[in-house]
Amino acid sequence: MNRPSRVASRWLLLISLVVTHAVADETLHYPAAPDSGPATSLVVHGALDLPQMQPLLEGFHRQNPDVAVRYRNLTTLALHERFLAAPDEADVLLSSAMAWQYRLANEGHARALASPAAQHWPAWARWRHELFAITFEPIVMVVNQAVIERFGEVRGHADLLALLERHAGALQGRVVTYDPATSGAGYTYAIEESRLSPRYWDLVAALGKAETALADTTAEMLDGLIEGRYLVGYNLLGSYAQERLANQPQLRIVVPEDYALVTQRLALIPRQAPHPQAAERFLDYLISETGQTVLARETPLGAIHPALDGPGTATALRQARGEALRPIAVGPGLLATLDDLKREALLTRWQREFARGE
Amino acid sequence: MKRGDSLYRRLLGWLLLPLLVLGSLILIQAWVDAQRTADRAFDRLLEAASLAIAEQVQWQDDRLWLDLPPAALEMLATDAQERVFYSLVDRQGRLITGNALLPGDPRQGAEDEDTLLYRHIDWQGLSLRQGVRRTRVEDWRVREPFEVRVAHSREGRDALAARLWRANLAMILAMAALATVGLLLAIRAALTPLTRLRRAIRARDPRTLAPLELSLPRELAELRDTVNELLARMRRVRANQERFIGDASHQLRTPLAGLSARAELALRQDDPMRWKEALIAMQATSARTARLAVQLLSLTRLANPEYRPDRVPVELNALACQAVRDHWASCHRQGVDLGVETAGDEVWIHGIDWLLAEAIGNLIDNASRYGGRCVTVKVEHCPPRLIVEDDGPGIPEPRRMLMLRPFHRDRDDLAGSGLGLAIVDGIARTHGARLQLSTGHDGRGLRVVLQFPGDTS
Repeated sequence: MNRPSRVASRWLLLISLVVTHAVADETLHYPAAPDSGPATSLVVHGALDLPQMQPLLEGFHRQNPDVAVRYRNLTTLALHERFLAAPDEADVLLSSAMAWQYRLANEGHARALASPAAQHWPAWARWRHELFAITFEPIVMVVNQAVIERFGEVRGHADLLALLERHAGALQGRVVTYDPATSGAGYTYAIEESRLSPRYWDLVAALGKAETALADTTAEMLDGLIEGRYLVGYNLLGSYAQERLANQPQLRIVVPEDYALVTQRLALIPRQAPHPQAAERFLDYLISETGQTVLARETPLGAIHPALDGPGTATALRQARGEALRPIAVGPGLLATLDDLKREALLTRWQREFARGE
Repeated sequence: MKRGDSLYRRLLGWLLLPLLVLGSLILIQAWVDAQRTADRAFDRLLEAASLAIAEQVQWQDDRLWLDLPPAALEMLATDAQERVFYSLVDRQGRLITGNALLPGDPRQGAEDEDTLLYRHIDWQGLSLRQGVRRTRVEDWRVREPFEVRVAHSREGRDALAARLWRANLAMILAMAALATVGLLLAIRAALTPLTRLRRAIRARDPRTLAPLELSLPRELAELRDTVNELLARMRRVRANQERFIGDASHQLRTPLAGLSARAELALRQDDPMRWKEALIAMQATSARTARLAVQLLSLTRLANPEYRPDRVPVELNALACQAVRDHWASCHRQGVDLGVETAGDEVWIHGIDWLLAEAIGNLIDNASRYGGRCVTVKVEHCPPRLIVEDDGPGIPEPRRMLMLRPFHRDRDDLAGSGLGLAIVDGIARTHGARLQLSTGHDGRGLRVVLQFPGDTS
C-alpha cells in the first residue's frame, strides 16, 4: 500500500477537519468526486479517533469516489445516546462499547449484511450478520523498565499479583488502572476478568493495598506513565498504548501470558440508516481484505481478517500468545454488563475488595 | 375408448387419491409435531435460564436484588444466535431490572405457587417465545413474590423444526413412493385374471358353445358362470332349432311323399275319372302343405327374438267380429256353430291386428278340427281378454303345456299340422300376453284365454 502518495494527498486537501473540544464534535468529510456519476452520501458515527479512522476512510473513498463520506467521532456514550435520540441519522455505527452495540443489535436495530465477505467473516467475530467485530485489540499492562530491572520480569497476572503483594510499599501510588465506577471500559474488563478467575479479587485487593491510582481513560494512564508518575499500568488498551509508546523505550508493553482480554470494535448498520446501500458498501469494505489490510498496516487497531498475517493482525497475535487470548465474546453475556443491579453488585464488591487491601 | 374408462386407471385414481390426502395429513401432522418437539426442546432453555436467574434473586436493603449471571443469558442463545430478553418484575409489575419490559403471566395464580408459563409473544415486531417464572424470595422474615421473564427469538426453534420436518419429509416421501410402486404392482396383479379370461374367450373356436373351464377369483368366476349359463341357453336354443327344422322337414316330406305316390298311382290308370279324383286329392294335400309352409314361416318369424313389429292400437271387439265373419262360412260348411260375444265398451290394446286375427283363426280352426260343435269367441274388458271356447273333448290338464310345442298333436290326424297352438303361443308372447288353457264353462271342451297386459286404454 502506498503511503500518502500523490493521489492520497489530493484527498487530504479536501478533508475538513473540525475539532471542537466543547462538544467533542470531530468530523472528517470527503465530498464525492464531481465526475463520478450520481453521488450518494454516507454518515459514519464512530468512537474511533481521527488519526486511526482517517486511513480507513481514505481507502474507502478511493474505492468509492461517488460516495460523499462524513465521519463524526463521538465518545461511546454520546454515540449511543445520539443514536437512541435519532436512529435515522447515521448509516454506520462503530463503537468499542461492545455491550451497547450488542444491545442495539439484540433489540433489532441493526440491519443484516449479506455480502460474501460477511458470510465468510469468522463466527466468533460477528453476531448473526448484523454485528461485526472489525478490530482486535488486546488489553495490556505497561511496565516501566526500572521495575523490571529491580523486581524482575512481569509476564502475566500472576507475576503482577506477586509483585504487588511483595513490593506494595515500593509501588505505593505508582500503579494505575481503570476506575470501573467511572469508566465503561474499566467496568467491562472487571466483569470479564471476574468471570475468568476468582483470583481477580486477590488482584483487586493487591491493587488496593498498593494504593493504586484510578483513571478514566487509557490516555490519562499513558500520560502518567510517560511522565513517570506511574511505574505500572494495568489494563490499558493495547492499540493506544502501542501508538503512544512507540518512542518511549523505558516503558514496555506486556501482553499477559496467562490470559489477555481482547476487546473489539463492533460495527453495525442501523435499520433506519438513511443510505443503506452506501452503508453496506462501507461495512463490506471494513471487513474486506483491503480494509483490513489498511487497518493492520496504518493503524494500531489489529485486523481480524483470517487471510491476513504479519504485524498488526489477530493471526500474528494468536501465534505469539495462543490460547491466552480471550476475545470478549459477542453474545448475550454482554447484556449482563448493562444490568444496573449487576453493575451495582459488581462495583460494591470491587470497592470492598479494593478497600480490603488498603 | 376414453382415458378414464380404463379399469386400471380408475383403480389407480381411487387408491391414489386417498393416499394423497392421507400423505398431506401426515405431512401437516409431521410439521406440527416438529414444531412442538422443537418448542419442547428449546423451552428447556427458558426453564433453565429463568431458574438460574431466579436463584440469584435476593431480598437486600428492603428491595429485590439480582446479581445477574451472564451464563443464564448465554444459555438462551444457541448456535442460531437468538435475540435474548429478560426482565425481573416485582409483585406490583414494576421492572426491577432487565433489558426489556416483557409482558407477564396473565393468569391469576395462587401467590404461594411456583409457576412456569411458556408462550409465543409478538414484542416490538419480533416474534418471541417467552418463559415466565413466578416464584418468590424466601427469607427469614420476608416472602416476596416476583416474576422472572425471559424470551428469545425463534430462529433456533424454526431451524430445528425445519430439520426434523425435513427428516420426516424424506421418510414420508420414500414411503409414498414405495406405496405407489406397491399399488401399481398390486393393481396389475389383481387385473391379471381378467386378461386370462379375455385370452381364454379369444382363443376359443367361434362355433363352439362349450362352457369356459378356467379357475378365476370369485368375482370373475361369477362372470364366467354367467357366460356359461348364457352358453347353455344358446345350446338349448340351438337344439330346439335343430329339432324344429327336423320336425318341419319331416312334416313337409310326408305330404310331398303322399303327393308323389298318388300321382304315380294315378298315372298307372287310364280312366280320366281316376285322374280327376287323384288331382282333387292332390290339390287338397298341396293346399294343406302350403298352409303348413305358411304356418312354419310365421312360427319362425315369431320365434325370432329380434322380430319386433310395430304395435298399433287395436280394438278387440271389432277384431273378434271380423275374425268370426271370416271363418263363419267354412265353419258353417262343417256344421260348426260359430258365435261372438263382445264386451260392452270398446277394448283397445296395443298390438298387431293381423297377428291377432291369425291367432283367433288358428284357435277357431283348432276347435272345429278337434270336435267342437259350438265355438264362441269372447272379448272381455278389465283386464282385456280374448277368449275362444269350444264344447269339444278338451285337453286333459297334464297335456296342456305339451300342446304348445310345435308339431305336437293330441292324436293322429292328417288334417292338422300341430302348429296351431304353438303359433298362438308365439303371438301371445309377442304381445306380452298370458296364454291360459282351461276347461270350458260347463266342464266340457277347451277354453283358451289371451290376457293382455294393462287396462283398456
